[in-house]
Amino acid sequence: MSLKRILILLGKELIHSSKNFLFIWVVLAPILISLLVSLVFGTLFSEKPKLGVFDQGTSQIVEMLKKLDSLTVKKYESVAGLKVAVEKGVVDLGMVLPPDFDNQVKTGVKTRVSVYVWGESLAKNRIMVGIIIASRVRELSGLENPVIVESITIGEGEAIPWNDRLFPLVVLMAVFLGGLFLPASSIIGEKVKGTIQAIIVTPTSLIDVLFAKGLMGILVSLLMGIIILFLNQAFGAHPWLLILLLFLGGIMAVIIGMISGTFVKDFTTLFAIWKSCGILLFFPAFMYMFPKIPAWLGWFFPTYYLIQPIVELTQKGGGWLDIRTDVFFLIGIDLLILGLLVFLIKVKKPITG
Amino acid sequence: MNFRIIKTLFIKDFTLFFKNRFIAVITVLGLVFYLFAYFFLPKTVDEVMEIGVYAPVMPPIIERIQNEGLKIETYKIEKDLKEAVSKGKVVAGLVFPADIMEKLKKGEKPIVKTYLSAELEPEIKSAISIFVNELFFIQAGYTLAIEVIEETIGPDMVGKQVSPGKRIIPLLVFFLLITETFGLANLISEEIEKRTIQALLVTPTRIQDIFIAKGLTGLILALSQALLFLVIVGELKNQPLLILITLLLGCIIVTGISFLIGSVARDMMSVLAWGVIAFIVLLVPSINILLPGAIVTNWVKILPTYYLTESIHRVMNFGYSWQNIWQNLLILLVYSLGILSVGVYILKRRYQ
Repeated sequence: MSLKRILILLGKELIHSSKNFLFIWVVLAPILISLLVSLVFGTLFSEKPKLGVFDQGTSQIVEMLKKLDSLTVKKYESVAGLKVAVEKGVVDLGMVLPPDFDNQVKTGVKTRVSVYVWGESLAKNRIMVGIIIASRVRELSGLENPVIVESITIGEGEAIPWNDRLFPLVVLMAVFLGGLFLPASSIIGEKVKGTIQAIIVTPTSLIDVLFAKGLMGILVSLLMGIIILFLNQAFGAHPWLLILLLFLGGIMAVIIGMISGTFVKDFTTLFAIWKSCGILLFFPAFMYMFPKIPAWLGWFFPTYYLIQPIVELTQKGGGWLDIRTDVFFLIGIDLLILGLLVFLIKVKKPITG
Repeated sequence: MNFRIIKTLFIKDFTLFFKNRFIAVITVLGLVFYLFAYFFLPKTVDEVMEIGVYAPVMPPIIERIQNEGLKIETYKIEKDLKEAVSKGKVVAGLVFPADIMEKLKKGEKPIVKTYLSAELEPEIKSAISIFVNELFFIQAGYTLAIEVIEETIGPDMVGKQVSPGKRIIPLLVFFLLITETFGLANLISEEIEKRTIQALLVTPTRIQDIFIAKGLTGLILALSQALLFLVIVGELKNQPLLILITLLLGCIIVTGISFLIGSVARDMMSVLAWGVIAFIVLLVPSINILLPGAIVTNWVKILPTYYLTESIHRVMNFGYSWQNIWQNLLILLVYSLGILSVGVYILKRRYQ
């Protein structure tokens, strides 16, 4: 194995692959999916009503409303801007506060407030926004709450937002699309064109070629994983542990990609295998989407040992002690499949014949 | 123009289209997947908040507060109320003490017990507490010194909301139409790269015949799938002719785009590369229908798919007719003729 040759091959891979559609796609797809997930599940299934405010004065009520987590408040600079937002459904209700609103409320002088209602806004959202505004106006006018509310929680579950449920799937896609597809497609492409056979008759060994392709897969996979964690603001307190996990996950993806690439004859077969066997890689992500699936089922899938510690660190506030067993399992799986790859190449000789 | 030649070319293109395994799979699987997505999404909108109440003495406000967005269910036993909360029948369960009205009259603060499901979103939990206090402010007669001037913008949809299942239809129709772009563009680029087009042109086949056959292939493939999808989901009942014309114009647009992509692409991968760019740009207007308010800028109106998806959405979900959307159709017609002409012109130059 020659480090110099590996670096030359890696440079070649980076230059040529980056012009390839597949390269662009493995980079773009996870980002687009991540943005789409947060857009769709942060908006479509959000129960939180949205209120738009154009304050002609400096009312305290806007800040009081903003402090509540039961509605989203957006400020606008003009009535026209507010009306456009209501018309397009950006907010459920738009409220125009008169210049001296706070004083009028405090002194009990009748004041006039214009409210624009989005026609497609849900009836319950209209009611909730109305009630919440009324409660803050009463607070502003100095009225005390008439009752004491004592909340009792029933059951042991918790509301898991769909953004969080889909996060493991997005991370797995980021790691595996680049890590698996780039080395696999690169090897298949070279096999089809016959360039790989040409290279290995020179002093460059097959190991050098595969190492360079694997290295590129790991780099792209790691980079995409980091971007996805960054986009989802999921780095939390243990960024280095997360990077370590992404690196180990990248190794797993690359080895699977290299096994596929060396044994598959063309792109169509690679896509067919991806479609039919993808479930083996992504099943653990479905467990987080549907928590009723028994957790022990995940133990039988290799990607569980990648995604479980990532979820533990990013969503449950865990640390090294909580994830160390999974990390050791992940390293074990990486070594096992690496051994399998070496064995298959040495015994079956799929490229050298 | 020779109809026999056009028919032969059409059959050849149609067969070649389905010979490409990737295109054939995404065409069939796509339709299945879109149907699955449609049936998976809710078909109704739950716009009423249901709250359960147990009170030995029911405060009069409970009767008065019910309206379109709020439904109060009363329970005779506290245990039943708790069960209703845990089973998700009501959002929250309120327990009013027997002496609540007396305490309020005396100016004392009674304690209202609120049962909330552990799985309830935090924002609703805090809203319930506000709701309970507001309820008794109204009960106590504290009216606000505010005159509200209300104006509803757009058609008032209370009671007849458009469900996510219906909102996604324009997006899925767009997917079905645009997928055909990949197939037709691939056919065209293959003909150029393999030079079969030159072989055809030395026969009595004229370039117009080729364009008509290719156009028909794209049009029929895209239109048939979109129509099949709409028939299965039962959305072709209202204004079928209007929807058919809208789809037809949409099909002409995607055929024109296929011509453009086919003339610049060199192989399947570059068809996908160019196709995905067109796909992402043209997708934006339908996202705005699925998620109102997601994209606020008006620039989406320069995209032809805005008029396509908006017309489908308005006709299917708001019952719009010819009078309401004729401008959209006119713009769509201009776009479709324009894009098709540019596509034909560029492709003709490439052929020659």
